[in-house]
Amino acid sequence: MAPANIVTIRKLSKIYRQGEINVTALHDISLDIQTGEFLTLMGPSGSGKSTLLHIIAGIDRPTSGECRVQDVDVARLNESQLADWRNQNVGFVFQTFNLIPVLTAFENVELPLLLTRLNRKQRRHQVETALDLVGLADRARHLPRQLSGGQEQRVAIARALVTSPSLVVADEPTGNLDSQSAHDVLGILQTLSKTAGKTVIMVTHDPKAAAFGSRTIHLEKGELTE
Amino acid sequence: MTIGSFILKNALRNKRRATLSILSVAVSLFLLVTLMVALRELTLPPEDIGAALRIAVRSKISIANVLPARQRPIIERIPGVEAVSPFTFFWGTFKNEESLTFAQFAMDPMLLRVLFVELKLPDKEYADFEKDRRACIIGKLTADKYHLKVGDRITLASAIYQATLDFNIAGIYSGTIDDRNMLFHHKYFDEATGDLGQVGMWWVKVKSPEDMPRVITAINQAFANTSAEVRAESERAFQLGFISMWGNIKLLVGSICTVVVFTLILVSGSTMSMAIRERFRELAVLKAIGFRRRELFAFILAESFGLAMFGALIGVGGAYALYTYGSIAKMTNGIFITFEVTPKIVGIGALVAACLGIVASIAPAIAVARMSVVNGLKTLD
Repeated sequence: MAPANIVTIRKLSKIYRQGEINVTALHDISLDIQTGEFLTLMGPSGSGKSTLLHIIAGIDRPTSGECRVQDVDVARLNESQLADWRNQNVGFVFQTFNLIPVLTAFENVELPLLLTRLNRKQRRHQVETALDLVGLADRARHLPRQLSGGQEQRVAIARALVTSPSLVVADEPTGNLDSQSAHDVLGILQTLSKTAGKTVIMVTHDPKAAAFGSRTIHLEKGELTE
Repeated sequence: MTIGSFILKNALRNKRRATLSILSVAVSLFLLVTLMVALRELTLPPEDIGAALRIAVRSKISIANVLPARQRPIIERIPGVEAVSPFTFFWGTFKNEESLTFAQFAMDPMLLRVLFVELKLPDKEYADFEKDRRACIIGKLTADKYHLKVGDRITLASAIYQATLDFNIAGIYSGTIDDRNMLFHHKYFDEATGDLGQVGMWWVKVKSPEDMPRVITAINQAFANTSAEVRAESERAFQLGFISMWGNIKLLVGSICTVVVFTLILVSGSTMSMAIRERFRELAVLKAIGFRRRELFAFILAESFGLAMFGALIGVGGAYALYTYGSIAKMTNGIFITFEVTPKIVGIGALVAACLGIVASIAPAIAVARMSVVNGLKTLD
């Protein structure tokens, strides 16, 4: 039996208003993403790939159309419901890592768990597991400035995974990394998809990075080209 | 990590700015408390039982104008009056000091304990004061300041009368609202100045508080349309009138307090806005990973509130410690005898700080609430 769709997108459009001008970022997109898939989104700058990723992750809203994630119409949730939903279902990995500089690696990873009902011991266990998974258990007490770029991004991946989300979204996660660190990070994302059954959606410009995914789709001027 | 430690780490991430913010709040609140205490001390009504029965009678023209001594029996005959004593300012300078450092008043020693019931003076010292025309009694603060003791002799040269008088210190008193003054026999003053038949003012004691309004009216009417019209008023009104000679000090101090608070709000608001603006992307990340608007608002509020309250702890607490345990008389060169930071003033200081913390967090909190995650993530990219 084929795996179920975790993301179902139908006739999705996004139009931004810049002053007096309407800019179409996404036009009439329909797309299915299966559970456990490692999907890479490619396309030139301004093609709408990040916008699509943001809508799937629930941090942006479509102008029209439908985006269902795990059968939840994300656009219909209010701000508060959306925040809870993101906390429980989505892990974020950003190009610039976006760790909190005054918190240690351990504390950065623990941050999403502060919104859960887990006690301190349970939180510790989950944080240690997540850091172990990205190979940084020994750097738990380090501040972000004491880590290399690759290590910072691995901490960010641990933060994305610590709540056990079914969906991990990564917006050009290797854009600021050297080739070795990029390879390590992509390897982790691939492992998450293959062995942990996580659905990973990654935006990238780099065909080598896209090659780590199980499927690649291309966007151009807000439309799917394949 | 707890939410509290997360807020604390954020608040102290820029230690220099946090320190300067706390100090600006602390210094401003110290100033605010000082002004409020000063205003209170200046306008504090006399609360002792004696004050409720005392009437000050002075020239209607000004307090600097003298009154004829012949007014005394007229006042004494007014129903409800228990005692009347002259009270004349001598303006004597002590030793080689250039200006007046404590006030001296000539009065009727027989009425000392009748008029000033709150005054504490040993019986023997009072008896010695009463029987020796050249005797004087000195407030404890002045005695301590100049290391004067009973039995000492002092000489004062008046700046307004052609007289230099020698005094025997018969006693040292305390318990009044101003334990700095020196009191001596009016007869000695009259002799030294050639019996001018003048007094500076009258202190009148009424038999009961109920008599006060009627006696005041009667005294004012008794000398209406004479060459020496008087203004009789309660001790509280007299003191407030005395202060009003400095101008509308209440308005002045109130204006300064308002400016201090307003400036503090602008400075704190600006500081918090800067601190939050620098963290827009981080706050967007927090929103992305599931923190809601109200939680982010709580973070900002807690940070702003915490900095303001810590500033209050230093500023208001510092003022309390300084004015409670320090010698205010020495610090102000005798201008203020007491400088009490009352619980009410501490409360106002804390309230101002709390309001400050809340108001300063409003603008950044609104900005964060309006910020979309996507736009926040683009900040400083």
